[in-house]
Amino acid sequence: MVRHRADYLYVAPAILVMGLVIAYPVWFTFYLSVFSTPPNLALEDKIFVGLDNYGRILGADSVREASLNTLVWTVASTGFAFVLGFGAALALNRPFRGRGLLRGTLLVPYVISAVAAAYVWRWLLHSDLGVISALAMASGLRSTPFNFLDNTDTVLASLIMVNVWKEFPFVMIMMLAGLQTVPDQLLRAAQVDGAGPWQRFWHITVPHLGNVSLVTILLLLAANFNGFTIPWVMTGGGPAGASEIWITQIYQLAFGRIRFGLASAYSVILFAVMMTMGYFYVRALVGKDRPS
Amino acid sequence: MRRGFWPVAGWVYLGLLAVFSLLPMAWMLITSIKTQFAAIQFPPEWIPSHPTLDAYAELLSPSREIGRVFLRYLLNSLWVSTATTVLGVIVAVPAAYAFSRFRFPGRNLLFYAVLLRNMFPAVVFLMPLFIMMRWLGLVNTQFSLILTYLTFGLPLSIWLLKGFFDNIPIQLEQAARIDGASRFQAFLLVVMPLSSPGIIATAIYSFIQAWNEYVYALTFLNDDAKLTLPVGLQHFFTEYATNWPGLMAASFIMSVPVVAMFLVLQKYFVRALTDGAVKS
Repeated sequence: MVRHRADYLYVAPAILVMGLVIAYPVWFTFYLSVFSTPPNLALEDKIFVGLDNYGRILGADSVREASLNTLVWTVASTGFAFVLGFGAALALNRPFRGRGLLRGTLLVPYVISAVAAAYVWRWLLHSDLGVISALAMASGLRSTPFNFLDNTDTVLASLIMVNVWKEFPFVMIMMLAGLQTVPDQLLRAAQVDGAGPWQRFWHITVPHLGNVSLVTILLLLAANFNGFTIPWVMTGGGPAGASEIWITQIYQLAFGRIRFGLASAYSVILFAVMMTMGYFYVRALVGKDRPS
Repeated sequence: MRRGFWPVAGWVYLGLLAVFSLLPMAWMLITSIKTQFAAIQFPPEWIPSHPTLDAYAELLSPSREIGRVFLRYLLNSLWVSTATTVLGVIVAVPAAYAFSRFRFPGRNLLFYAVLLRNMFPAVVFLMPLFIMMRWLGLVNTQFSLILTYLTFGLPLSIWLLKGFFDNIPIQLEQAARIDGASRFQAFLLVVMPLSSPGIIATAIYSFIQAWNEYVYALTFLNDDAKLTLPVGLQHFFTEYATNWPGLMAASFIMSVPVVAMFLVLQKYFVRALTDGAVKS
């Protein structure tokens, strides 16, 4: 095809805007991370401190506690959302009346704004008036309301449950799309040869879903690792730091305490972890282009 | 084997999941039609004995304090989301067309931009963007949000639109060119009309993203009068701490348009969300 200079005119606006708002901030975060910044927004009297900020972040007890929470939050949210969503995809992957309606119903949590969802769940899990407690009491499981969110033992699990509620539909549609790539003839041939549903599932469906599953899981891990709205609106990291994760700590450090240098170093560390995940993500995506 | 174990298990599972999905929405709606007094009864009334639309009436009446604030947020959200969407389409359509039709160095950048966008959600960019917006004098303006949403939406918008353009046979354009149309005319008069469903779906997708966005709005705006709905809800929550019907009604009004748009265009969105991952 002939190459025209003018072709670039079509892409230029997009590249320009993206360069300004994506490339520059990445560089700037690295830059700020080696400075000690005064707690104001002008950033004028900053002092070069080398890797000091990194040392302080990695050495802080509060960061260590939040790291465990972050790991649990990220892995558990991803795992439960995947299992729940994959199950839904399998159950939906056959024609029946009302299938589209059901799929639409199950997609609602995914579409609704995270803030609205966080407030509704805060109300559902309310320590004195929560409808979840009321349901448990009505069915005789408990005799008093249960305090989900203001309780260091259950707060993280509660947030994970809300997050799973929000995310499982995403898994469902990804896996449904994946299931449609499983060749029908193969499944029917196996059935003719006497393979039961369980065998067909293990030996035909599962091997075909490898890449979709991997991509879905990596996207979920990244999204959960960066998940902010649900923990921030529902608990703000509390009580006593029991639901504090890296992202909420970074936000608090940057915009609560206005310590941009420290928060930048923390961001770079988060960046490094993300990049590692990103590497596997790209490998997973590129992997399926290769003839196998 | 029509009625074996697995189909029944599937039904039970889907039923439970549907209850889990809809319970919060149902309770949102039920709470929003209670009086404030009824809302804080425990155990709660499962079905309100005196249903009322007072909470909605209050939110939507400009003569009431709470209504004035809410309507302001609603208008702000509409303005920011609409501006983001319109600008997004203007920038993304030509770019997507170029990525679909032309071969040029750097073409693969788009693919990586989409990946990057997926890997780095909002919060990581917050600090440097905030500082940048300060320098540009844009902090506490809605333009800062529009610019940010536009950028973070672009890679995916272009990616989606490219998919739609790819499906339009190039022969149609060639025919137009032979008939004397310029390349731009062919694009405007042949490609654009054919891809309008795709453009609409992409536009609505970016509208929903902007409508729901929270963390940038929380950080960039500090003037009460400029807030968008997601951040505005917080204001209601603290100022009217016990007004659960009001908060639920506000959440409901905020959710309805988005859910409705999504459900109507479900098929496009499902395709949009899964395309990159399932086929390459």
